[in-house]
Amino acid sequence: MADTVNKTLDPQLDRRGFLKGCTMAAAALGLSDAMIPKLVEAAATAERPRVIWLHFQECTGCTESLLRASHPDLARLILDIISLDYHETIMAAAGHQAEHNLQETVNNHPFILVVEGAIPTKDGGIYCKIAGKTAMDILAEVAPKASAIIAIGTCAAFGGVQAASPNPTGAVGVQDLVSGKPIINIPGCPPNPIAFLGTVLHYLTFKRLPALDSLNRPLFAYGRRIHDHCERRAHFDEGRFVEQYGDEFHKLGYCLYKVGCKGPETFNSCPAVRFNDVDVWPVSVGHGCVGCSEPNFWDTMTPFYERLPMVKIPGAGIVDNADKIGKTVLGATAAAVGIHAAVGIGKRIITGKKSEE
Amino acid sequence: MATYEKHHAWSILLRLFHWMFALSIVFLVVTGFYINNPWTNTMIEGSASFPMATMRFMHYIAAYTFSAAVAIRLFLYIFGNAQERVWDILPISGRNLNNLKMTLLNYSYISDEHDSRLGHNIMAGTSYLITFVIALTMILSGFFMLYPEATFWQGWGVKVFGSQQSARFIHHILMWWFMIFPVIHIYLCIWNDCKGPEGLISSIFTGVKFKHKA
Ligand code: HEM
Ligand code: HEM
Ligand code: SF4
Repeated sequence: MADTVNKTLDPQLDRRGFLKGCTMAAAALGLSDAMIPKLVEAAATAERPRVIWLHFQECTGCTESLLRASHPDLARLILDIISLDYHETIMAAAGHQAEHNLQETVNNHPFILVVEGAIPTKDGGIYCKIAGKTAMDILAEVAPKASAIIAIGTCAAFGGVQAASPNPTGAVGVQDLVSGKPIINIPGCPPNPIAFLGTVLHYLTFKRLPALDSLNRPLFAYGRRIHDHCERRAHFDEGRFVEQYGDEFHKLGYCLYKVGCKGPETFNSCPAVRFNDVDVWPVSVGHGCVGCSEPNFWDTMTPFYERLPMVKIPGAGIVDNADKIGKTVLGATAAAVGIHAAVGIGKRIITGKKSEE
Repeated sequence: MATYEKHHAWSILLRLFHWMFALSIVFLVVTGFYINNPWTNTMIEGSASFPMATMRFMHYIAAYTFSAAVAIRLFLYIFGNAQERVWDILPISGRNLNNLKMTLLNYSYISDEHDSRLGHNIMAGTSYLITFVIALTMILSGFFMLYPEATFWQGWGVKVFGSQQSARFIHHILMWWFMIFPVIHIYLCIWNDCKGPEGLISSIFTGVKFKHKA
């Protein structure tokens, strides 16, 4: 029987908040409202799946955005439907006791592994160590025993900002090191808590992982292009653009394409689900999308305020804009054509030869 | 006075390919530039002039024409006449490599000798092959951007390009080839026409070239 009257759950989470959280997740997953009771039942069963949450090279922003959701019910719901056996930011245990808890779960129970942060691999992985062990070793120890792995945030999914060129620590995402396990990527910097909650609830309800795209991101959250759901899209089609931040067109709420919005290249649910329960997301408050849920966004989406990345000129160590280089090459080509023609004419005058007849 | 003979060089399908290709490229470059930097800024709200949507629409129509042209050329590389098949221009056989060397010397005014052929010389042929490969990359990256949610294109695209943004970047940089290549191409066609009365330029309309009677 579902415990919807809230006997085993956090007493601060009331029934209303609980149902609200499940409903939000159902909406994000695109489930019909007939499914909500199932979600509620799955979320309220006494057997909460054990979760081990590993932090590697990261800023803890994913955890922060998850737990500090302005609407506390969401965070509480997440913490209530799972049993968080090891999470460095919020666990009560410390030192040897914490490590003992980790070992105890890994060796004796089925569990879901959540990884936050990239894993440095250079120089034997020494750039991230916890309890004297490298992140690589910890992952290699824990991952093979997990029933599924959720890589939360762009760092754990694709390497994140510490993998930015020249990637000094050799940082990589979980999927580059672990194989043979179901891996779900929930990228974003940070990702929307709803994407995480939806994935967990889907797993609890249907006992399998949600459908994924070819980058292993759940389709319910990453299946649509931001640009195709954006409230400024009509301005894009009408050719009305902000030319500069703060100009009159910016005040009128025009499309941010020309000031570098990466919505056309980015897959995420931001325009539909929005953030912090106050219905905002970057574009709604006047800033272009920076493409934070795409692989290599730190290299391919920068400069953030221009449409396309700069081109590195090999050898010269300079970066420049593609069109400037293109114009230079085109100019050089035209000059070469001119010289070729001039030489031909010159030669004909000197040798006095006519073209063949 | 030398005597010339009329030879049929290009099938009608090849000529159709050429003009579909060349005309669609003009549209693709112009609308592509506009997509990158939409310089008109409709300032009157509700004017419904739709410039961005229109430019993209034209880009896609031209893109389908371009793709059809490339498909025709692929067919002709395999099933075309002797001049059109890929073996006639691949710079791998001894005969073709020799032609490449002689053409290079001739074009740089070092030698007056000239290995005349009915089909393309190998320098031209190689540049057409490069153009063909770049055209395929434009098509792949373009359709990946156009249908990002279709599993078919996503599967390919993510493997080949990594992300939409990288596809767009490659699509944009390679566009410059389609501006640089025609400059050289049209110049060399005119240059050839001035040097030898083969009727080279008209051959791409009529399919007929003129050769010395042996
Ligand atoms: C010679 C061939 C082509 C040229 C020169 C060309 C040029 C361009 C350029 C310059 C852009 C703008 C990219 C940017 O800087 O933001 C673009 C965008 C695009 N092109 Fe092409 N293109 C060609 C062929 C194709 C083909 C074959 C397709 C296939 C459908 C295609 C589909 C697209 C799409 C979908 C976009 C993105 C439009 C948007 O997101 O609004 N292109 N093209
Ligand atoms: C007014 C403009 C043009 C003229 C007069 C022209 C003329 C010609 C001629 C005479 C040939 C045959 C050359 C030979 O036998 O080697 C040819 C072939 C070719 N042209 Fe053009 N051309 C023009 C524009 C373009 C443009 C804009 C493009 C594409 C960017 C283009 C791409 C090609 C290609 C790929 C071939 C090789 C055909 C094949 O695959 O067999 N042309 N053109
Ligand atoms: S603001 Fe960005 S996502 Fe929205 S329509 Fe413009 S380019 Fe697309």
